[in-house]
Amino acid sequence: MSATDEVELRIGATLTNLPIIRSLAASIAMRADFDLDSIADLKLAVDEACSTLITKAAPGSALGCCFTVAGDEIRFTVTVAAASGDAPDTSSFGWQVLTTLTDDASAWVEGNGQPGHHQAHIELTKRRIAG
Amino acid sequence: MTAPQTGRAATGYEHLAPLFVELAETTDDDRRHAELREQLVTGHVPLAEHIAARFANRGVAREDLVQVATLGLINAVDRFQPDRGSDFLSFAVPTIMGEVRRHFRDASWSMHVPRRLKGVARFEALEHLLQAQRLGRAPTPSELANHLGLSLEQVFEGLEAGNAYHSMSLDEALSPDAGSEPLGDTLGVQDPALDGVEYHESLRPLIEQLPERERTILTLRFFKHMTQTQIAERVGVSQMHVSRLLTKTLEQLREGLLAEPEAE
Repeated sequence: MSATDEVELRIGATLTNLPIIRSLAASIAMRADFDLDSIADLKLAVDEACSTLITKAAPGSALGCCFTVAGDEIRFTVTVAAASGDAPDTSSFGWQVLTTLTDDASAWVEGNGQPGHHQAHIELTKRRIAG
Repeated sequence: MTAPQTGRAATGYEHLAPLFVELAETTDDDRRHAELREQLVTGHVPLAEHIAARFANRGVAREDLVQVATLGLINAVDRFQPDRGSDFLSFAVPTIMGEVRRHFRDASWSMHVPRRLKGVARFEALEHLLQAQRLGRAPTPSELANHLGLSLEQVFEGLEAGNAYHSMSLDEALSPDAGSEPLGDTLGVQDPALDGVEYHESLRPLIEQLPERERTILTLRFFKHMTQTQIAERVGVSQMHVSRLLTKTLEQLREGLLAEPEAE
């Protein structure tokens, strides 16, 4: 994958920043010529994923967002330094929202063994509707 | 988060499950059928509200969302077949969300129509395209550009501009915090011209009874002196629609004034 297909954004993990991430998502999907419904879905899904991680973020940390446009899909990954080692709850209602809006969604947590050094991740994929 | 857990965790709706079985055994003309349906819809309303809350603060008025979600809930109750083995919640959530998403799409569409696309011919062409697309999927920016004879950049510009002035209900609280003022309360001052309006005292209760959208349109037209086209852009409906609503509202007000001569 060449870096030309990627867009990265590093932004404070606060809810007030959501509109910035959301409009970036919309802009990317729009320029990838996704249909308007898919653009709207991606916006909502990105919003949901980021709010989930913001609630898990360690104080003062930043969200690392990355969009990758590849062929017929847009992949969005978001990472944050998490306050705890618990993975985002995939049985939650929010997760159900996320999976309804996207084609693929996964969540996981990595740690380097030291307490307080956890990275929580969410990755989601939205595919172009054929036709 | 206080989201109800799906999966194995308790959902709070278990007690309603047997009603679905009973509902499936009754026929439409059975009086019990209507009772059960009502009970099931009412019992699951918190679910619809929950989904609506999930999508709040994204440019669509909260009460609209609740209404749309409830509609989705009713559809879900009507279409759910308990003998298929799945539980109601995993059936209902996508159904309700489908309804909410469609609303977002339609609402954002009506608001996203770029100003420069507003020429009558182009606007009609756009509506035509959207109609045609309704059978399949939504149009893409390149399809819009092709169809409207605009460059892609112009369409992008239009869509992005649309995002910037997403219309918002004046009654919607500015932040999710309790006690936050509705937007409407933070805007403008009492228009002194308002006092000069004939029948002010009798008109006011009638205006207060109007549906929110009608009231907004009326206010913008007659107290803020906006043109119908400006109002159309602000409210997110066509100018024709504004015209129809205004006509209807004024008729209603006139009737109301005549019907209540005792009002001062």
